[in-house]
Amino acid sequence: MKKIVQAKNVQKDFGSKGNLFRALQDINIEINEGEFVGIMGPSGAGKSTLLNIFSTIDKPTSGDIVIDGKEIMMMDDEQLSDFRRDRLGFIFQDYNLLDTLTVNENILLPLALAKVPEKEIEKRVEKIADSFGIREILNKYPYHISGGQKQRVAASRAIVANPSLILADEPTGALDSKSATNLLESLSNLNKKNSATILMVTHDAYAASFCKRVLFINDGKLYMELHKAEKTRKAFFQDVLDALSSLGGGHHDVI
Amino acid sequence: MTLFSIARKNMKNNFNNYFLYFASMIFSIVIYFTFVSLKYDKTILASSDSSPKISAAFSAASVVLMIFVAIFIWYSNSFFTRKRKKEVALYSLLGVRKKQIGKMLFYENFLLGVIALAIGIALGSILSKYFVLLLMKVMGHESLAHFSISFSAIVNTIIVFMIITLLTSFQGYRVIYRFKLIDLFQAEKQGESEPKASLFLALLSIVLIGVGYWIALQNLVTSNVWKTLGMAITPLIILATVILGTYLLFSTVTVYMLKLAKKNKKSYWNGINIIGVSQLLYRIKGNARTLTIIAILSATTLSAVGTSYSSYYNNKHNVEMTNPNSIMFTVTDNNISKKVQDTISKDKNHQILYHETIPTIEVNVDTKNLYDYGDMPYTFISVSDFNILAKEQHRKDSLSLKGNQAAILDAAYMEGFSPKYIGTEVSFNLKEHEQKISFIDLKKYSVLNAKTVFNTIVISDELFTELVKVTNPLDMEVYKIKNEDDAENVTKELKSIIPDQAKFSNFYTDYTSGLETTGLLIFMSGFLGLVFLAATGSIIYFKQLTEATSDKGRYEILLKIGVKKKEIYKSIAKQVLFIFAIPLLAGIAHSAIALTALSNLLQTNLVVPVVICISVYTAIYIFYYFLTVNTYYKIVAKTK
Repeated sequence: MKKIVQAKNVQKDFGSKGNLFRALQDINIEINEGEFVGIMGPSGAGKSTLLNIFSTIDKPTSGDIVIDGKEIMMMDDEQLSDFRRDRLGFIFQDYNLLDTLTVNENILLPLALAKVPEKEIEKRVEKIADSFGIREILNKYPYHISGGQKQRVAASRAIVANPSLILADEPTGALDSKSATNLLESLSNLNKKNSATILMVTHDAYAASFCKRVLFINDGKLYMELHKAEKTRKAFFQDVLDALSSLGGGHHDVI
Repeated sequence: MTLFSIARKNMKNNFNNYFLYFASMIFSIVIYFTFVSLKYDKTILASSDSSPKISAAFSAASVVLMIFVAIFIWYSNSFFTRKRKKEVALYSLLGVRKKQIGKMLFYENFLLGVIALAIGIALGSILSKYFVLLLMKVMGHESLAHFSISFSAIVNTIIVFMIITLLTSFQGYRVIYRFKLIDLFQAEKQGESEPKASLFLALLSIVLIGVGYWIALQNLVTSNVWKTLGMAITPLIILATVILGTYLLFSTVTVYMLKLAKKNKKSYWNGINIIGVSQLLYRIKGNARTLTIIAILSATTLSAVGTSYSSYYNNKHNVEMTNPNSIMFTVTDNNISKKVQDTISKDKNHQILYHETIPTIEVNVDTKNLYDYGDMPYTFISVSDFNILAKEQHRKDSLSLKGNQAAILDAAYMEGFSPKYIGTEVSFNLKEHEQKISFIDLKKYSVLNAKTVFNTIVISDELFTELVKVTNPLDMEVYKIKNEDDAENVTKELKSIIPDQAKFSNFYTDYTSGLETTGLLIFMSGFLGLVFLAATGSIIYFKQLTEATSDKGRYEILLKIGVKKKEIYKSIAKQVLFIFAIPLLAGIAHSAIALTALSNLLQTNLVVPVVICISVYTAIYIFYYFLTVNTYYKIVAKTK
């Protein structure tokens, strides 16, 4: 099976000598094509730092990262921009939709940036809008739609360019439980049907239970790994909760 | 930590934002100080015959400047306050009393004003000396030996700007009381919805501007519009239609164009265009008022500077039109004529290029065929004398007249105003000698100086000899000398020799007095124009920077999803270009129409001076453009 992410001995330091803070230490992660991986951990564990590094908007202090066969440590700013545009899709907690663009335009933005022909753009946006159930709001502006709809638009934008890896940063963080379930099911479907590779950072055990595999980080180190395998989502949810309580500090984060 | 120290800290940290405002303010103070110094300076007053004129002109200019600067500071201030709503709200939320916040804003602005005033006066004291040199140069005076800083100028400047600073600082204080806390927090959140373009308003704007232009270009005398509406109302109608049209143009036609650009998916959905166009569309309506103000200010500045520069530029030409001869006077006494010739020949710098004695006849002509009123005096010369002078004055032109044929020389001829000469017959009665002459030609210049003779009619040699038999001709002495524009000494001497009744006229006197007036005008309008330009440039700069700060989040998203910094720079450059170009183009168009109307009225060609003015204006404007693009880019693309 094709490996989408290979991270070896990733280390990230903040601050300077004497006042050094090690945010990540000896992180080794491999993610295969078609996986849906969750990353959990208490606040300050280094989840967001890790995601930023995979997103190529931050660089590790040392270590090797290969995403979709590309050594991202060797690329310069321009190449990284192109790489993000062509290979990565992003879903953020606060949606990050552009309020000057309609829903339709927000979704097609990555395609427009990649200069995909206009006919092709229309076809792909329609298809995705249908699968996320946002066809009726395509011509609305972001400030006219609900949070759940916004996050589905953001998800549509993330996958419209068929990225090799979708990175989701607390995608359900600002949603009510119904909208959250809705979004997670969409992501899960996307993963199953289109075998999209998704890496999701969350501190919500319920959200994590939709993943096929969950990694736990604590104090900048990989702490534990859970596989869903053939378990039901409910059973897996319980496993995640147990893991969190063993981590300590995670308690208050549970639902 | 006292309020004062917070205020000082705020200013330090916001210096980038304040810089241009600060610079414009200092510049205005320097110019104001210079104008006031000129008003009070005694050496200038003593050096020039037209000194009361200078003093009055600078008083008026400094009042205009004062009003403008007050408005500019007021406007910029409200910008800053709006930009800092959130900060103010935060203080308020933390429990700082409104009174204290108000005091803090007051201190900040007051401090800024006082510092600007101090720097302005210091710079002004140094620079005003050079400005005076410049003024003297454009007015054609020798440079002054000593120009001293006047104490009263300093006091005047301090008082005026202290009042302006106090008033505007007080406004900052008041702002706090007008806002509710909840509004302050939501100020930036309110989503501006996409503007709607009304086809009706878009067409109306074009019609309004069209009508304004059309009326402006009508001939003042012959057009029915000016006749029916009246001389006083018509200019107001032109102003109103053009200003309203410009506003509608900016608020609807631009929206229309942008929407059209949006419809063309092939180019709209291509790379970063989608960002630029939607961003502009989102902002344009809120910007329409500012853009209109800037367009109108640019048009006013360009027209005023264009007009004064044109008159400066055309001074020599105008003086040549009224004084085709360097020196001219009526012969009253042969001794005087002899003395004059000796005086001129003595001067080595001003060799005589030609010297003629031209016989003329003064006649009262019945002009009822030309004008409504009766007799008017004219000066007759013979066609052969005309041809001699025309040749000496390098006119590639000659006349041949026979019998009662005549030609009129009218240097002030104006289409529409002046009568239709050609084909008209007029009569006169000279010592019981009834005669009719008919005009077969018209020359829009004269060969005799306008101040020594009446309007001149050229008649045939036969008729001239006939008339000389009945009356004594008046002889005219005409000279052309080398370097006529600096013939100061010779002119002075001649003035003392030639008696008043000889109607002495000369190129030099008219040239220098024209240079004095137009030089003063160009100096003042030039500096006022620069202040206006600095202010308009700053206004766009602030406005764009305010937008940049609130758009920061958007660009961060774009960078995250893989837009290159280069592309972002390009997109910003395009957007800002749109915002800068629109008012500039409208301003240039408006001023071009205004100046075309003016040149039609004055019958002079203003193309060269006007093009020079517009180029200089545009060049400075472009400097502001690049400054804005770079700062905008720095704000939105700064990596954390």
